[in-house]
Amino acid sequence: MLPLSAKDDEYKPAKLNLLAKTSGWFRAILSDQTSRNLFFFLLLNLSFAFVELSYGIWSNSLGLISDSFHMFFDCTALLAGLAASVISRWRCNDSFSYGYVRAEVLAGFVNGLFLIFTAFFIFSEGVERALEPPDVHHDRLLPVSVAGLLVNLVGIFVFQHGGHGHSHGDDDKFLPGKGSSKQILQGVFLHIVADTLGSVGVIISALLMQKYDLMIADPICSMLISLLIGVSVVPLLRESIGILMQRTPPTLDHALPECYQRVQQLQGVYNIQEPHFWTLCTDVYVGTLKLLVAPDADARWIQTQTHNIFTQVGVRQLYVQIDIAAM
Amino acid sequence: MACEPNRVRLLCMLSLTFGFFIVEVVVSRITSSLAMLSDSFHMLSDVIALLVALVAVRFAEKTQATNKNTFGWIRAEVMGALVNAVFLTALCFTIILEAIERFTEPNEIDSPYIVIGVGAAGLLVNLLGLCLFHGHAGGGHGHSHGGGGGGHGHSHGSGGHSHGKKKTGQICKSEKPNSSSSETNTLVVVDHNSPNGVNSENRGYDFSKDGTELQTNGSPLYDDVDHSSAAQLNMRGVFLHVLGDALGSVIVVVNALIFTFVWQPCLPDEACLNPCINSHSTDHQHVNQTLVGLTDPGAYRMAGPCWVLYMDPTLCIMMVLILLYTTYPLLKESALILLQTVPKQIDMHQLNEKLLCLEGVLAIHELHIWQLAGSRIIATAHIKCHDPTAYMDVAKRIKDFFHDEGIHATTIQPEFVTFSSDSRDSLCELSCRTQCAPKLCCGSADKAAEKKAASEADDGLREVSPATLEVISEDPEQAAALPLVVTPEPAAAPREAESFL
Repeated sequence: MLPLSAKDDEYKPAKLNLLAKTSGWFRAILSDQTSRNLFFFLLLNLSFAFVELSYGIWSNSLGLISDSFHMFFDCTALLAGLAASVISRWRCNDSFSYGYVRAEVLAGFVNGLFLIFTAFFIFSEGVERALEPPDVHHDRLLPVSVAGLLVNLVGIFVFQHGGHGHSHGDDDKFLPGKGSSKQILQGVFLHIVADTLGSVGVIISALLMQKYDLMIADPICSMLISLLIGVSVVPLLRESIGILMQRTPPTLDHALPECYQRVQQLQGVYNIQEPHFWTLCTDVYVGTLKLLVAPDADARWIQTQTHNIFTQVGVRQLYVQIDIAAM
Repeated sequence: MACEPNRVRLLCMLSLTFGFFIVEVVVSRITSSLAMLSDSFHMLSDVIALLVALVAVRFAEKTQATNKNTFGWIRAEVMGALVNAVFLTALCFTIILEAIERFTEPNEIDSPYIVIGVGAAGLLVNLLGLCLFHGHAGGGHGHSHGGGGGGHGHSHGSGGHSHGKKKTGQICKSEKPNSSSSETNTLVVVDHNSPNGVNSENRGYDFSKDGTELQTNGSPLYDDVDHSSAAQLNMRGVFLHVLGDALGSVIVVVNALIFTFVWQPCLPDEACLNPCINSHSTDHQHVNQTLVGLTDPGAYRMAGPCWVLYMDPTLCIMMVLILLYTTYPLLKESALILLQTVPKQIDMHQLNEKLLCLEGVLAIHELHIWQLAGSRIIATAHIKCHDPTAYMDVAKRIKDFFHDEGIHATTIQPEFVTFSSDSRDSLCELSCRTQCAPKLCCGSADKAAEKKAASEADDGLREVSPATLEVISEDPEQAAALPLVVTPEPAAAPREAESFL
């Protein structure tokens, strides 16, 4: 229908779309436990950061302002995790034939990278402060660090199962969800731990400085913390890099040669060529295989047997190409 | 190999940058300037970026398939590009933080001449780097436009900075402001260059030596072309990083020059006050001018125009904006490849239709196409055909068809229609349209249910291809209704329902 006048309300789709979209996002976020947790923790962090920032500006303390910026930086990690957990549930379409499931692996990887960068940054700041100690007024920073520590402890408690997976009785029905957001949760968890370590470090160094007047404590704490953060991130990075590089799933490393043997023993199979197995996202394995078979072999039977063999080890998406040898 | 010059360039730039980093650290210790020390850390992050790119290039040269990495390491370059892009973004954040800090507490530059000197030296180094990488990474593939990128290396109060690069006119050859269209260009161009694509499957992992291959899996292995297009992404990351440095240096030098010529500082032995710096002494003097016992109130000189002190953070923020704008396409492109997206030049709908038109092809399901890296595209599909004898013809036709599209690594699983009884020929036609659907896949499924689903899906699939996709996407709901749900994941169904919000 053509608009009859400029004020025709039917012709204003744009605003409605935005509202519908955002409400759709909210529904998506609140529907899943993982993303719900992430969302509320993100709100908590953001509000704390804002409070810190305003307090720092009001009391004109540079230390507080920079600390609040660090918190904002962490919020971006949480945001990335949240975005990934929503995106990975979108339906697949023409451009993404596997859907968006890989988003969680990517989010875990990017979080790991940010963490490494943060560790590097803290280390460099520590070195700078060691060489030229500034006069930091830690008395203002101390109560704020304690508050930050509390916020982070809440986060650790909420996400503690995410890093290592699972197993509570009543949580079982969320297991599939948890399984697939394992990477995201691990990244977020490590981020929160890094934050907690930072707060703990500040508290310890403040105490040391007040009691023993050890100015060197601050930079040393920073450097130690950055090393700890760096070390803790390595497993997450290794796993996500493995997945992104299309590496054979580590859990299948031992099972696959056996499977190949069993397939080769099937009647009619000459050999196996070009096996490729890779992880799409957590616990979802995809495989492709080419079998060279005799001309008189029962291709269908071979296919179903092969599928069976591999399903037993957990590869559910398998593509078996049958090449019939010329006689 | 085509990648050799890349490696050489990277090593060259790496050693230069590292050397400069050492120089900066030494100078900072001599002049005991904290700002130069922090700048040297920016330099260090640059070194790290170059290292990442170098590692990626080294890894990607091993295109040979290994036990663990059956596709070879060719994806390393895409990863390298992503890592660099992410680092650049993180760096931009820190620069914004520092700039905001500087807005609240402006600092004078203590020794502007040293800053200018070191800045100019850095500019030279970065210029060299730009020349090194521009030829390779540039070449009109939509990346940064000249005149500005961000970079890290803005001057902190006193201290030089070292990376500078002037990249103003030269790189701006990429006239395409729309990054996505130029990305398409990249992929398409490379594709035309390598008609035989790259298929290193032939030197893949063979169990026995006498594999007689019927499929003509695209013949010679044009790894070089593949490499160069994947390497493009990596080199672009490095280029952007170096570009950021260049801009940083430019800003440093410009700032120091303005400072030298415009600012009138307070000399130490002169009575003057600095209104721009918010310190206690000036506060007191400012507020209680007569109280502090100043002999001659009129003879107070005011330190130079305040806006000069705010130039630095302003320029930095501009720089950051430009850098972010130029980094975003790189970030997006590498992230999309890693997300297993269908390459831009391939239209799934059309492909489906054309495949259905081939003789002997009854239906297609589970068609997945994704890009490994560069121009190496991999496709997998289930093709339904009449019987095994017809299959071999169809297989050849299908392979040729994919070759024409530029996809050279395909795995086609045949599904035979003719019988019902025991053949579990297909994986579920109803499977795998959502991420947890694999858990529903036919491992131990009910034959009857499967057949029923198969025939349902079949009827749907015989129509026009858009229906193909539609039937498949509806299927998981059918699947939830069917007793096809496999035992281990009873919760999969409710989760699926969730995803269709």
